[in-house]
Amino acid sequence: MTRHRREPLAFSFRTLLYVVYGLPLVWIVLTSLKSQGEVLTSQASVVFHPTLDAYRAAIADPALGGALRQSAVVALGTTALCLTFATPAAYALARVRGVIVVPALTLLVVLQMVPQTANLIPLFWLLSRWGLIDTTFGLVLADAAMFLPWAVLLLRPFFGQVPVAIEEAARIDGAATLRTFWSVVLPLARNGFLTVSAVIFLVSWGEFLYGITFMLSPEKYPLSSLIAVQAGAYGVDWPAMMAFAVVSAVPVLVVYVASFRLLSSGLTMGAVK
Amino acid sequence: MRNTRRTRALVALAGAAMLALTACSSGSSDDPGGTGGSTSGSSDTPTSGSKDGEKVTLTVWHYYNTDGQVAGLEQLASAFETKHPEVDVQFQYVPVEQMTTKAVTAAGAKKGPDVLVFGASGTYPLAESGAIASMDDWWAQYADADQFPQGVLQKIDGKLYGVQGYVNLLGLWYNQDLLDELGASVPTTIPELEDVMAKAAAAGKQGITLTGKPGLESQWQGFPWFTSQGFSYGDPQAEPMAKTFTMLQDWVAEKYLSKEAATWDQTVPFQQFAAGSSVFAVNGNWQIAAAKEATFQYGVAPLPLSADGGVLLGGEVQNVGAFSEHPDLAKEFLEDSFFSVDGELTLLDSFGSIPARADAAASSKISSDPILSVFGQIVQDQGRPSPSPQVPSKNVDKVETLVGDYWSKAVSGQGKPDDLANQLIAQLDPLLKG
Amino acid sequence: MTSSTPEAAVPTRAAGPTSPVRAGRGRRSRRAPDRRLALALPAGALLAALAVWPLVQLGRMSLHAVSAATLNGTWERIGLDNYTAMLHDPEFGRVVANTLTFVVVVTVLGMVGGFAVAVAVSSSTKGGTFLLATMVFVWALPPVVNGSIWKFLLADQGLVNQAVRALGGEGVGFLYDPRYALWSVALVNAWAVVPFNALVLRAALLGVDPQVIEAAEIDGARPYQRVWYVLVPTARSAATVLTILTIVYAFRSFDFIYVMTSGGPGTSSTTLPYLAYAQAFLTLDYGRGAATALLSLVVVVVLAVVYARDVRRNEETA
Repeated sequence: MTRHRREPLAFSFRTLLYVVYGLPLVWIVLTSLKSQGEVLTSQASVVFHPTLDAYRAAIADPALGGALRQSAVVALGTTALCLTFATPAAYALARVRGVIVVPALTLLVVLQMVPQTANLIPLFWLLSRWGLIDTTFGLVLADAAMFLPWAVLLLRPFFGQVPVAIEEAARIDGAATLRTFWSVVLPLARNGFLTVSAVIFLVSWGEFLYGITFMLSPEKYPLSSLIAVQAGAYGVDWPAMMAFAVVSAVPVLVVYVASFRLLSSGLTMGAVK
Repeated sequence: MRNTRRTRALVALAGAAMLALTACSSGSSDDPGGTGGSTSGSSDTPTSGSKDGEKVTLTVWHYYNTDGQVAGLEQLASAFETKHPEVDVQFQYVPVEQMTTKAVTAAGAKKGPDVLVFGASGTYPLAESGAIASMDDWWAQYADADQFPQGVLQKIDGKLYGVQGYVNLLGLWYNQDLLDELGASVPTTIPELEDVMAKAAAAGKQGITLTGKPGLESQWQGFPWFTSQGFSYGDPQAEPMAKTFTMLQDWVAEKYLSKEAATWDQTVPFQQFAAGSSVFAVNGNWQIAAAKEATFQYGVAPLPLSADGGVLLGGEVQNVGAFSEHPDLAKEFLEDSFFSVDGELTLLDSFGSIPARADAAASSKISSDPILSVFGQIVQDQGRPSPSPQVPSKNVDKVETLVGDYWSKAVSGQGKPDDLANQLIAQLDPLLKG
Repeated sequence: MTSSTPEAAVPTRAAGPTSPVRAGRGRRSRRAPDRRLALALPAGALLAALAVWPLVQLGRMSLHAVSAATLNGTWERIGLDNYTAMLHDPEFGRVVANTLTFVVVVTVLGMVGGFAVAVAVSSSTKGGTFLLATMVFVWALPPVVNGSIWKFLLADQGLVNQAVRALGGEGVGFLYDPRYALWSVALVNAWAVVPFNALVLRAALLGVDPQVIEAAEIDGARPYQRVWYVLVPTARSAATVLTILTIVYAFRSFDFIYVMTSGGPGTSSTTLPYLAYAQAFLTLDYGRGAATALLSLVVVVVLAVVYARDVRRNEETA
């Protein structure tokens, strides 16, 4: 991309974005460093007595280690499972012509519309019939199915962007469908694939409702439950909630920074035709 | 081409690693239908199975979330575990608005916890759906049953389905320092309350904080006020409601009460009070720990209600889960914790809940504490059972939510008091007739 | 790709319009179903079991009087009563209006904002990537955290109101004034959605051939023209799906409403999805909640068909 993009409009827009997205982040961190009493007295100020109490308590929480592990497993498992199913399906829907396309896409959009809460009860029945209640695999399955329509709909355009000519060339060279897909098309849709993977990972890391409903043992709760418990029937512990949010975000940040570099390096790949 | 191969390898590796991780973790802790032992594929799988047949796990579902409550629960658990070394008591947090649904759905799959701690408005659905069973036989044999007043026994069609080990209620918290500054004393009637609030408003302070967000909590907060005006669920009339809504809107107009209350649950108003920005707070005994954050002198007084007014005795209900694998142990746990003198006093210490048992309630811990003794007295003088017996069991949720919603509308000024009251009664009538 | 007309810049068909490839494909598809469809079978099976079946159950629930109390017992069949009760509810019109407002605000701001951000950070400079990374990070935080922070920022004594007062204005009841509550939550929700849209659009925009951009620049196109005639068409298919996904998301979003206003004050910020949630989980009337959820679904079906047809039309004639 050319370098001379020093337009003032873009610059002030970026500054606005930094404020609008940076401010809440800063506020989260600030709140996590306040004491419960000061959260309300210093609602609009940055002057307060910082304390690490909330973080100390969060790290000392015995449930933290298990919940962290659980979230990691669920997020990785869901991402892997969801993408394993979604990627070929997205490719198929990007390439195949015929009457199946309209109903398939309609169905995907409709499924995407169904709120999580509407699926809770039927999924509970189903998972318990299969003996998967209170199992990590059951949760991964439920999450993967929930994100599947979304993933397929998002991946489809990226496969669409891949030039047909390259595929045809591979086929003429004798490659079968699966092989063409795996070694030719997928690498060219890498951008989209990695973006969607990162997104699914982030969202399943934070998934909460299925986690607390389908798990009947407290040690199987994901990390998101530790944040949610801070805002319960009997009180809201603001510093604790924010501290847990920050703690929960750190591992994600790590994965995230790594994947962003992958994404960036994939830029030029995608542009080469 | 080199890049493509490397990419492929990376993707394959990542995918394999993820799948391996999933397989590993799911295999070790939970084997559907396998040899893991803790959960099997059969339909009456215990949710907390025995580990190698030696340790017995008792799962307790609850929605407590403050540090004090959690500490109290842990004390109850360790007391029981000392008595029964082979038992491991595990507490599982379920958010309050998911509790009933989770328990009911689990019951449909013939699963559930050993002990359930739930809100009183959930008694009916939990009983009907089979998540909890009748306690009649158990209670008939329980030696200390007579220590529990009628009001804390949750009955559906005359059958006992839960007992409250403690009660939570509302009082008028006041900022003594501010009262002194304003030269006012603790009000005992609503006009007196309004006088003090007028002085507070003139001095630039909030007069009162209370809950105004739509839903159940607002019904609970509003109950003392509209019953004080003469409303009763047994004979629902619009006039007392209209008077209550007028009172609320006057308070907002005169700036005694912030309109922001329409978004407040029960925690924010108290935090504001504890931060010193309001003279009064309509709030509960469980705030006793949060109150310690205050840097001023404070006290509690009964709400300045008329003789008709009452305060609902809320708090959680306890029962054994119908699908518990260890019902006798579960019963014993409840008898030793929530239903015992020691247990109830432990809970009193940890979050100020007033014991339900007469002997525990007579403890000097209550009578000697300036805050708790007032609440103890309020239980005697103003306490009313919750849910109100005049509301048909199957409509409790709907009625409480509806009333709460209208309370919120009144606070936010979404209509004239008379109109709101008429609309409310119109929708309430069919629900109260059952 | 040397043509500079917008249509040819759409990358879905890089081969020329008269390539023998298309003719070949046409012949093949008339003979037998495309073998590649089999690739979608696993996904189809998973969805059938874990997504379609629950949807059918939801439909069943909406035709019965099911509550938490009767869930495990016999369900009383009441036909369309849940739906007619909804239509007779005096608040219904308001809730629908709220929903439409909400969807429009979130979708328009989410898409325009997302596209603007995608363009602003589409260069692979470190600054741009960092900004997008920050934004996506914020997006990924749980709604309870984001919603709570904005609740603080928009409170009576919160930062925004303090700023307003400092500038000489009066405090605004962002979340408790019935006139503003819905808009405030919708704005926050749009804010929450922009990073995701930006991320996806950026990935799509990066598929643009830089030579085309350079050619446009050399031809004298100004920045907005470069955006409108080159970047917009490139991102078209991604933008179409994102728009539909954003609409769907806005149509079912209730987390922010739940955290920030609980549908209040009164019902001024209640939307259909929040109502469905409140009916099912707060009043435990699963039948009513199911009916409300399905009603929103019906609206989305219409949109979905429009989208699917549009996709088919655009991609088959390219």
